Amino acid sequence: MTYVEWLRIRNCLKVLAIILVILLALAIVLRVSVSRYMSPAQWVHHISLDPGTHVTNVTLPDGAKETILDNPGEQTHVTIDDHGNAGTHIVVTEPSSRAHKDKNNVTVGSIHVIETDHGKVTTTVIDTNGSVPMLYYMAIADFFALIVATILAAPLAREINGHLEMTLTKPISRLRYALGAIGVDVIGILAASVMTVVAFYICQLLFETPRLDFSGVNTRAILMGIACPLAWYAMLCAATTWLPRAYGALLGLIPLGLLFVGLLTLVPASNLVALFVHDVAWVISRLDPLTYVSVAAPNAEGTVNYSGANFGFRISMEALFFVAYGALALWRWQRVEA
Amino acid sequence: MSSIKISNLRKVYGSTPAVDGFSLDVPSASVFGLLGPNGAGKTTTFKCMLGLARPSSGEILYDGKPLVPESFQRIAYVPERNVLYEWMTVDEHVEMNRRAFKAFEPARARELLSQFGVDPRKRASALSKGMRTAVMVACAFARNAEILVLDEPTSGLDPVNQRHVLSLIINEAAKGNSVIFSSHQIGQVERAAERIAVMDRGKAILSGVVDDLKADRKIVEGIFPDVNYSLDGIANDPRVARVDRTERILRLLVTAGADEIAARLSGLGATGIRVLDLNLEDIFLYAVSPKDATADIVTKEQSS
Repeated sequence: MTYVEWLRIRNCLKVLAIILVILLALAIVLRVSVSRYMSPAQWVHHISLDPGTHVTNVTLPDGAKETILDNPGEQTHVTIDDHGNAGTHIVVTEPSSRAHKDKNNVTVGSIHVIETDHGKVTTTVIDTNGSVPMLYYMAIADFFALIVATILAAPLAREINGHLEMTLTKPISRLRYALGAIGVDVIGILAASVMTVVAFYICQLLFETPRLDFSGVNTRAILMGIACPLAWYAMLCAATTWLPRAYGALLGLIPLGLLFVGLLTLVPASNLVALFVHDVAWVISRLDPLTYVSVAAPNAEGTVNYSGANFGFRISMEALFFVAYGALALWRWQRVEA
Repeated sequence: MSSIKISNLRKVYGSTPAVDGFSLDVPSASVFGLLGPNGAGKTTTFKCMLGLARPSSGEILYDGKPLVPESFQRIAYVPERNVLYEWMTVDEHVEMNRRAFKAFEPARARELLSQFGVDPRKRASALSKGMRTAVMVACAFARNAEILVLDEPTSGLDPVNQRHVLSLIINEAAKGNSVIFSSHQIGQVERAAERIAVMDRGKAILSGVVDDLKADRKIVEGIFPDVNYSLDGIANDPRVARVDRTERILRLLVTAGADEIAARLSGLGATGIRVLDLNLEDIFLYAVSPKDATADIVTKEQSS
């Protein structure tokens, strides 16, 4: 009964697959073009040309190649453990006077940098293959999943707008048909997320072996990454089922409208009118599932956390929106006449 | 073997009744033609029959039972307008039907499509109006449905394919299935339907077995020597359904006793008196033409 919806999803995911393959091709081009910078051998060679630098190469029991660069004159000692695709562990010991003044622990994707002072000496540890926060993956996956959700978000309006005679003369109740169509779309949206994660995993694999971490904040990122596009889909589904004639325009205008509303919530309450605009926009924005998506940021300890977020509340709101907006669409669908 | 019974169906949009107290019976293994001018309520009746629109009142029964979603395993519908998915190929429409209906025969659908000259690899958007109708008809007739509801199933088709659709309709009745269809091609209805109903402004203004309607109704035509002639109460005869006067020519639509009324005209001085048989188109036009269409036409209340 949901064959048409499957075909729609197939077409939609086909386009997504083409886009992801193009991105993958670009990643391959990038990988090839930077290949000579990828191996530590090149810059080890460059450093070894400094006068007074002694280079020692050993093979560790696990097969990793260890290179030790020692320059007693410069008081610099570098140990590089090259684990191939599993990443590189670099320890740099140098005078604090020459090291970075700001001692920050930095995490960018899978690269972790930790600097520590030991009197006049600073030790910098660089790991190029740390665990990848799922937040990065889910942010990219959500971008594509939200686009797919927006495209698919009028399964009932599309039928109302020209195909009811075919849809409602199938041997299935209206409710079951609608639940089936929405269920298939949900699978399509989740598939878009999975495809994106897999594509970007492959992209990363071109450079290193990613270590995915599904614990703690990453689990929350995955949950939010799944719930947000589904709640968004349900909201658009409800809107288009109630206003089916212009569902195409609606699908285009709602994201822009909500973006505008979001900007209005930033209006400083400097006077009564501004306060009114802000308050109205704030109330409207509460109905937007995207409002409840918290932005993750690294905290002082270098771990990713949801800043100022009450995750339980936010994920509950996303789930509530999915159910409430979905129910609204179903209620309307039950009353549609050809 | 399936029958349809509609009792006192009423569908009101706002304050306008689209269907107003319409009733009909479609017996098993028969073809029923629904006629009427545009806006008469035929399509709304079909929509109410199929649950696409909610009747304001009345009852629709299939074999004595109300419509449920599962009924569509044995009811096929060809809508008046194109409802194909423009972006899907004809083959995909066939596949959609195969998945939805247990008794659907894809091979039969493809055979019919071939007979209609439709390329199944084409997208619906690339098909002409007639070809789209052909796709809907082919899918409906491949469903092995016991009841076929066809709203203008020959719309846009060329004469050869129109004839083909009529043959399919007659064949369904021969197989013991019931067909109810509407068409503006009255000749087609006359050829295929055993029974008809004529709708106008939401009401059935005429219904019955086609042969009976044709047998009962005659036109009695006479020419008077002068424009000013007297009818001597003929217009009030209950058997005279309609009186048309055009200068010296008088035409009477009679529902019985044509010979007797012809004799009365002769007695009034009319010459060239003829008793004419009516075809279905004549019956339809007499039924639906406005009572005050021209100053020359004097109309009596329909006695059908």
